[in-house]
Amino acid sequence: MVSIKLHNVSLVYKLHEKLTLSAPDRRVGGPGGRIEGSGRKQFVQALDGISFELKAGDRLGLVGPNGAGKTTLLKVLYGIYEPSGGSVAIEGKVDALFNINIGFRREATGRRNIVLRGLISGWTEAEIEEKMEDIIAFSELGDFIDLPFKAYSQGMAARLAFSAATALDPEILLMDEWIGAGDASFQDKAKRRMDELAEKAGIIVLASHSEALIQSVCTKRMTLRSGRIESFTTEPTKRAGKPAKL
Amino acid sequence: MIAALNGAFDDISRAIRLHRVWIALAHEDIGDQHRRTTLGPLWLLVNYVAFVGTFVFVFQPAGKDAAGYAAYVAIGLLVWFYLMEVMSLSVSLFQREESFIEGTTLPLFVYVLRLALQSAIRAGYAIAGCLVILLLSGPPVASPWLWSVAGLLLILLVTPAMITVFAFLGAFFPDSQFIVGNLLRVGMFFTPVFWVYKGQEGIQRYAYHWNPFTYFLEIVRLPILNGELPAHAFGVTIIMSLAIWMIALLLLGRYRKQVIFII
Ligand SMILES: Nc1ncnc2c1ncn2[C@@H]1O[C@H](COP(=O)(O)OP(=O)(O)OP(=O)(O)O)[C@@H](O)[C@H]1O
Ligand SMILES: [Mg+2]
Repeated sequence: MVSIKLHNVSLVYKLHEKLTLSAPDRRVGGPGGRIEGSGRKQFVQALDGISFELKAGDRLGLVGPNGAGKTTLLKVLYGIYEPSGGSVAIEGKVDALFNINIGFRREATGRRNIVLRGLISGWTEAEIEEKMEDIIAFSELGDFIDLPFKAYSQGMAARLAFSAATALDPEILLMDEWIGAGDASFQDKAKRRMDELAEKAGIIVLASHSEALIQSVCTKRMTLRSGRIESFTTEPTKRAGKPAKL
Repeated sequence: MIAALNGAFDDISRAIRLHRVWIALAHEDIGDQHRRTTLGPLWLLVNYVAFVGTFVFVFQPAGKDAAGYAAYVAIGLLVWFYLMEVMSLSVSLFQREESFIEGTTLPLFVYVLRLALQSAIRAGYAIAGCLVILLLSGPPVASPWLWSVAGLLLILLVTPAMITVFAFLGAFFPDSQFIVGNLLRVGMFFTPVFWVYKGQEGIQRYAYHWNPFTYFLEIVRLPILNGELPAHAFGVTIIMSLAIWMIALLLLGRYRKQVIFII
């Protein structure tokens, strides 16, 4: 059964942990989490006491100002960061779309990048080959699929990333502010695919500043502020059949 | 400590299961480095042969010592260049892999094995050059050469541990990237790569006996040059290798989850 359970999760970024011969510089904080401590022992409390549960079919929208902890929370869910405190229990195969350029090789072709991406997710070459035509068709990249990734525009890169990640049948899909780069027709298509995924009893967690996107995709909404949950609500608007207007 | 070792073995076994990933990435790396060049990876061979040629030309001793010198330098440079490349690429390994470390949940040992494989492939070209030089100049092929092969295998086996140690060193202590780079450049003169130690006194004596690299070189070189098993050098190398593996496992087990926060 696909599910996500977080209990009292906190995450602290320690600054100046590197041993260095140079004098420690004083960093200045942005509008984000809380900077605490001083000198060598500065740290940012990016997540603090986060507890929530998601079950199959849930689509959670993460909102909140810059530096609220959305990306950090997604990375904890993906398993990139080990939380500094609390517990994370996740059932299901997770895939994630962060910054488009992360996890792609610029020199390799789109096709090769799909293969690498699949291998990283634990697929065999044969399984990837089977899906390859689907992925290329969905991305609508056409002949560009055999050009190196560095020759792609932002939107083309987003198409490739999304097509590959969703074709590999994730049960839980984490997305961080990626979709903006795709054009309207692709965003529609992407939304339909997310619907399918959620209907197949998957979970979607999407961080975005786009109110319209959150409303059209998500059934639940969590507002983060300075690393804490400000509110966690079920979206009142029924989304059935409404076309995405982004 | 037991927990650290368990963590390390977990990381390593997951990395081995993902062998397709690092094999594919290592090939990409080799391809990337030589994309758009005419000779491609053959440049590695050309570089190596040119280096050996230069050293032989400049340093070859006169008289009866001359005979084995080409073989001496060829093997010395083969091993030295390999170790030097492994170490200097390792200290910046995690920084170079930042985009993958931040975007995927691959075990860290995947990056270690990827570099190990990449270095082994690159060394393959030098080994081909070395064999040609040996056949042209060296002593006749004999069964003790197998000890040299064993020596090479031992070096390959300790490579992932060396990469791990230097990668953690470079990640937690960024200044070490420059320190290691400089030490390696100087180190060539303090290692019997191109000079021959024949029991003379002075600095060369210390540089020979107290330099760990000496033993890595000698386990490959002595069997071919002297036709016998250098038991002492093998013993020292095996002990050093075990120690390096131990440190690598502890570092990996203890600090692998911290790397993401500091690169
Ligand atoms: N690698 C890091 N080192 C130190 N602090 C970090 C690091 N990454 C994020 N932070 C801090 O953690 C807090 C949360 O950052 P995060 O990236 O999760 O915010 P976000 O909600 O995704 O913001 P945005 O809307 O701008 O994408 C911020 O205060 C940020 O400064
Ligand atoms: Mg963010």
